[in-house]
Amino acid sequence: MTAIDRPQDVVGHEHEEGSFLDNRGLGFWGTIWDWASTVDHKKIGLMYLTAVLLMFFLGGVAGLAVRIELMEPMRMAETIGEDGTPTVELQGVAIDFGSEQTAEDGTKYWSFESTRESASTTYNRLFTIHGAVMVFLFIIPSIPAALGNFLLPLMLGAKDVAFPKLNLFSWYIYLTGATIAVVSLVLMGTDTGWTFYTPYSIQTDADYYRVFLMILAAFVLGFSSILTGLNFIVTVHKLRAPGMGWFDMPLFVWAIYATSIIQVLATPVIGITLLLLIFERLFRVGIFDASMGGDPVLYQHFFWFYSHPVVYVMILPAMGIISELLAVHSRKHIFGYRAIAFSSLGIAGVSFLVWGHHMFTAMGELASAVFSALTFLVAIPTAIKVFNWIATLYKGSIAINTPMLYALAFLFLFSIGGLTGLPLGALATDLHLHDSYFVVAHFHYVMMGGTVIAFIGGLHHWWPKMFGKMYNEKVGMFACVLVFIGFNTTFFTQFILGTQGMPRRYASYVDEFQLLHQISTVGSWLLAIGFLIHLGNFLHSLIAGPKAPPNPWGGLSLEWEAESPPTAHNFHHEPLVKHGPYDFESVVPPHCSEEEFPLPKSVS
Amino acid sequence: MMQDAAVAVDAPDPLAVFKSHELRLVPESGGLLEKLFFRAAGQNEQAVMTDGLFLLIFWFSVFFFVLLMGLMVYWVIKYRRRPGVPAPLSAPHNGPLEIFWTVVPSSALLVIFLAGFWGYMSKVVAPADALRLNVTGFKWDWEVVYPGGEKPAYTMPLGTKDAVKIIVLPENSPVQLLLKSNDVIHAFWVPDYRTKMDLYPNRLTTYTFHTEKLADDEVYRDHWVFCAEYCGQSHSEMYAIIRVVRQNDYEAILADWNTGSLSCEELGELVYRTNCVSCHTVDGSPGIGPTWLGSFGTMRALENGQQVLMDENYIRESILYPEAKRVAGFAGQNMTAFLGLSEDEIAGVICYIRSLSEQGQDTPEGEEAPGDGAGTKGDSADG
Repeated sequence: MTAIDRPQDVVGHEHEEGSFLDNRGLGFWGTIWDWASTVDHKKIGLMYLTAVLLMFFLGGVAGLAVRIELMEPMRMAETIGEDGTPTVELQGVAIDFGSEQTAEDGTKYWSFESTRESASTTYNRLFTIHGAVMVFLFIIPSIPAALGNFLLPLMLGAKDVAFPKLNLFSWYIYLTGATIAVVSLVLMGTDTGWTFYTPYSIQTDADYYRVFLMILAAFVLGFSSILTGLNFIVTVHKLRAPGMGWFDMPLFVWAIYATSIIQVLATPVIGITLLLLIFERLFRVGIFDASMGGDPVLYQHFFWFYSHPVVYVMILPAMGIISELLAVHSRKHIFGYRAIAFSSLGIAGVSFLVWGHHMFTAMGELASAVFSALTFLVAIPTAIKVFNWIATLYKGSIAINTPMLYALAFLFLFSIGGLTGLPLGALATDLHLHDSYFVVAHFHYVMMGGTVIAFIGGLHHWWPKMFGKMYNEKVGMFACVLVFIGFNTTFFTQFILGTQGMPRRYASYVDEFQLLHQISTVGSWLLAIGFLIHLGNFLHSLIAGPKAPPNPWGGLSLEWEAESPPTAHNFHHEPLVKHGPYDFESVVPPHCSEEEFPLPKSVS
Repeated sequence: MMQDAAVAVDAPDPLAVFKSHELRLVPESGGLLEKLFFRAAGQNEQAVMTDGLFLLIFWFSVFFFVLLMGLMVYWVIKYRRRPGVPAPLSAPHNGPLEIFWTVVPSSALLVIFLAGFWGYMSKVVAPADALRLNVTGFKWDWEVVYPGGEKPAYTMPLGTKDAVKIIVLPENSPVQLLLKSNDVIHAFWVPDYRTKMDLYPNRLTTYTFHTEKLADDEVYRDHWVFCAEYCGQSHSEMYAIIRVVRQNDYEAILADWNTGSLSCEELGELVYRTNCVSCHTVDGSPGIGPTWLGSFGTMRALENGQQVLMDENYIRESILYPEAKRVAGFAGQNMTAFLGLSEDEIAGVICYIRSLSEQGQDTPEGEEAPGDGAGTKGDSADG
């Protein structure tokens, strides 16, 4: 295609195409139907974005509630006072029911066993909600389904994903799964933990459908994940713009590609596993329950065979975002492009071989040793990525803004998350740290310090592209610093809790741990405030933000050639790729002037 | 912690001090980092080794973290954007550098892996003379049976729990717990000993540690036992105390706890006399089935040519599902499945068979084959 400056749309619309966000004079119901029946990857991406942010809020509230419960250990049985009236408090709140008991030595005391039990039950349901919502409904779809849907075709120079209708179908499957999960929550939720370990998950709440519904929700959501992955793989293979070879793709695309491979290969395994679990609950088929002749460890193998690779479904797209943010905001060619691209595929490959490291206390010596060795193998491509990212900063022209601050925060937090994986991979130390708060802190540093931080950073980076509005940079940076401090206060303390001996999933604890728990809880409030400021900043941007230029950061990948927000078919004409996505040293970014983004040769 | 300070002392009870509701946890000790991470230095050789490995990884991590973050912050400041000034040209990749930073951390990881494996083996393998207790986890407490059939009779009120079990153990002794669960999965964790193991309802696992030596002025020392695998409503209330005492005090306490119940071995022998004696001998002579003498901990040749270790899980499986593993040389003889035996009776048979091996052959000083039952899975497949 010859480069004609801004030609009329080749397809021949009667007028210049407007933004994909224009409702084209449709009324309220018309607009609703327009979105509900859209096959536009951008609209589907934004619907996912809204849904995952809502789920992040829901999971976050459950997480905050869990932290508040842990401010104080439960201490309830108190002796009756001089005047004969029992004054008993649970977590500082006076309780006025319970029953009088007589101890062996004759002293009478008031027992509040039932109150403690209901408090524990509530706690167990809350941490399950937090885990299940965050994992299945937020983190797994967050970057691939929301940002990936919006950006992948734009970055490839395509009009849409390969199968737009399948894409809409995936969205409705997600919506169905989310609805089933919410119904389960309305029916009191489940207390199985997000891992649904057998035989507990088969026996608990046996008379209710809520556990079945939660498992069904995870099962249904899996299909959304598989179909989205399939769609993205075909899109990357078939819809790259003319002139774009495999090594001309932005690293975010590589990351999404590696992610999609894992989704397609691993998710069916959890689907089958959850189906077996449902059969076992409903029809008493003895597969995992020892009392019916099954093996609970078999469930753990099946579960982690999916759920370990899925950890990389969560982190790989985040790594892709970081590659983009660091390169664009340092105006530097990403260091070691091929090393980063191949390490993504390396991680995807090795991720299938390390599931056993979740089960060192459940397996024999040989299996433990093999899985421990393989686990260290997966550390290597991850380390390579971090080294390359930091090398990218060398001799850059580094802008300090919200996306860049988030990228730097990612490097800080993710490095801690990665390094604290070492004592968990080493067998001797894992026997101590397994199922302790050390593990909780470790995966929060990886999942939240890694994925969520990258997601929020990426959201700021592509926000102008998505909505055509700028956000307030100072407010964004302030909130980022707050989130960073809050995050470390919340979760660094938990490493120490873990090494000192605090088990995870405990509604109460022994006295020694209280101070660290309190610090952690205060940190969670800072974290919440930081996120709320971001939310306010985004809402303000939507309502009153200044109009965004098509390429505010001087990016070179194809999404920056499109308008902000992009037109319904993304580009005015099919882009022809003449430079790589990171050739900042030789190419003036589209829509930008050389004064704004000078090239090295012009100064010399 | 709620403590009942007023211990009744009017009657001269020599064991009163061990019934004390006073919690005497390990006093803080060790360097600054040890205090921060572990409160106190490790209580036995394996724990000290674990802490050493943890701190080795810690310093390794600190080195790389400070290096990386230092470079990051330095470059962000040094190369911050100045309007109108472009980034200087620099290489976009460097092959030798990539190889360097792949190989160096990989070799360090290999060292960490090997140290971790070595420490793990020293944790899961018990010496032959270990004190062996049977521990059952259930929602939401632990049942402990000593070799002589005694069960802990001392408890103390702590937190929201009226009766926290006190498991008394002698100082400076190797201990191996044979673990099983009555319901869902639990995990036995004594943070002070830096190791944990899961409990399963369908097989046996082992938990191995070495109790520490008490200081001269100490009468007992307490350690927390936590359940570390989520098991439902009162998961966080499933704790107990290990109280390490001197050997003679231990014997006195166990005598106090003895209610005349059969010891583990005696129970096993009783089960043997009632159920097994018609086919299995205990004197080494061949019977309808293999003799039990000197069999524990040995490799058994199976009919299908396999060699398997005769350990706790092997015995349990052979009682419940005899056809799963058939010893070679007994073709045509089929054993009845003894599904009616309780888990306690099975544990008794294990004790009895083990004792026959210890009598029958002088076990040389040192370690026996790994008795970690967790290793032998597959019994599930027979169900």
